[in-house]
Amino acid sequence: MIPVLRLDRVSFSYGAVPALAAVSFAIAPGERVALLGRNGAGKSTLVRLVAGLERPDEGALWVGDWDTRDCVPEQLAWRVATVFQHADQQLFAPTVRDDVSFGPRALGVGERDVERRTDRALEDLGLTAHAGHHPYDLPPALRKLAALAGALALEPALLVLDEPTIGLDRALRARVTRVLLDRSAASVALLVITHDLTFAAETLERGLVLDRGRLACDEPLAGLVGDATRLEPLGLVPPPVAALSAALDLPGRPVCAADAARALARVARGRLAP
Amino acid sequence: MRSLTLDHASFWYPATESPALRDVSLEVGQGEVVALVGALGAGASTLLLVAADLAPRVTGGRLAGAVARRDRSGIVLPTPWTQASGMAFTVWDEVAFGPANLGWPTHEIARQVDRALEQLELVPLASRDPATLSGGELQRVIIAAILAMDPGLVLFDEPAAELDAEGAHTLWRLIRLLAREGKAVLLATSALDAIPDVADRVVWLEDGAVRAVGTPDLLADVAACDAGLGTSVATVWRAGGLPEPYPLTVAHAVQRWR
Repeated sequence: MIPVLRLDRVSFSYGAVPALAAVSFAIAPGERVALLGRNGAGKSTLVRLVAGLERPDEGALWVGDWDTRDCVPEQLAWRVATVFQHADQQLFAPTVRDDVSFGPRALGVGERDVERRTDRALEDLGLTAHAGHHPYDLPPALRKLAALAGALALEPALLVLDEPTIGLDRALRARVTRVLLDRSAASVALLVITHDLTFAAETLERGLVLDRGRLACDEPLAGLVGDATRLEPLGLVPPPVAALSAALDLPGRPVCAADAARALARVARGRLAP
Repeated sequence: MRSLTLDHASFWYPATESPALRDVSLEVGQGEVVALVGALGAGASTLLLVAADLAPRVTGGRLAGAVARRDRSGIVLPTPWTQASGMAFTVWDEVAFGPANLGWPTHEIARQVDRALEQLELVPLASRDPATLSGGELQRVIIAAILAMDPGLVLFDEPAAELDAEGAHTLWRLIRLLAREGKAVLLATSALDAIPDVADRVVWLEDGAVRAVGTPDLLADVAACDAGLGTSVATVWRAGGLPEPYPLTVAHAVQRWR
């Protein structure tokens, strides 16, 4: 199967300041990948490269069978949808619906398909009731969801999200998790920058960690987020649920809240049994 | 001593019928850290704007009730990049912009700026152009710029949002330090798991009104867990069907588990 995204020894610098050094990895359809690391590790730079806003200085970056050196961002939009960190500041249409439908309409898909994609994205993120509102009449958290809806409406092969949970309360974070799991089950690959390891553990399956521009780690998240000694030199801290599992030595060391609750209940019952 | 007092404060944004804050009474004392928690739209950000004297003065709208501030306040908005002066070519000058506008003597400006840069671990970035910083670095610069004005009342709206784990840890430690120096701190955060180590008191807002006030133990209550405002540990404990009281933190859980 052709990977949705493949980086082959990609390097990039801002003038004399190196940002990424010989980074290589590939992402399969439907894979859910977290991109982790300190502030300034190169995460956002990598997203700009994937979106086609910057070109690698060295190495190659493939989106499906397209070599991005031959692509402009408008072309990449057929396969990659990116929600930048402050995307809620970039909404521009007079209504949420217009904003969400702008992307597919700009791609040139038929009007009925534009309507279907827009309806689905709004519905999935619980924004249908806000479709007619002006984006800036909504609280920032819902504007953030509107920006995500715009990316979903592009129906990409790869969805790239930069810090999708900032400013969201727990209920909205759970809503985003549900939608992303849903899209991944339908073969949409996810590449998500986040400092929110709780969200990452609930939503994603594989962790890439950048450390000063180099790929320091590429492995399943479930093992990684509970391992404090390995996370620490990378500037990361286990999320509370993983820390709880480790501290209580819960079987299987679950990192998701629902799994941890089940393990806790099982062990507690075992203790009460004669 | 009280730094901020809200007495039956209600606030309406322009052209809205229902208030964003309803009859809120709250005191924040010097040396105290108070955390505002709540679901989306509960009113935490609005309360901070009122406390900062930005609402209704800048936002428009209408305030009922009384708000009294004893100290000069500084606010760190959830959109820190909008708070950069845009007139400084180095981090040092950006942090000096506020104190300079207060008309302080040069040596006092320098003292406050150096101190704020040190507190936010920004000394290595002092000569960088703010336009070249990452989101998390810029957030720390804005916090330093606010602290360099030596506000007695410091207001933070989601101050850790853009920070990595180390940056967040530094920030929470700094907030405790500010309280020890006698400053009053009022913060809104969705980082519920950080609150037990940071806040003296928690104010739970719901639909613009105060629903409950208490110690951080409030975040292990059944009601808070059910409203999505329990700490991760308390929430897992409740979901696992274990008996109350729920532990607030991993350390509490370990004690309970023995």
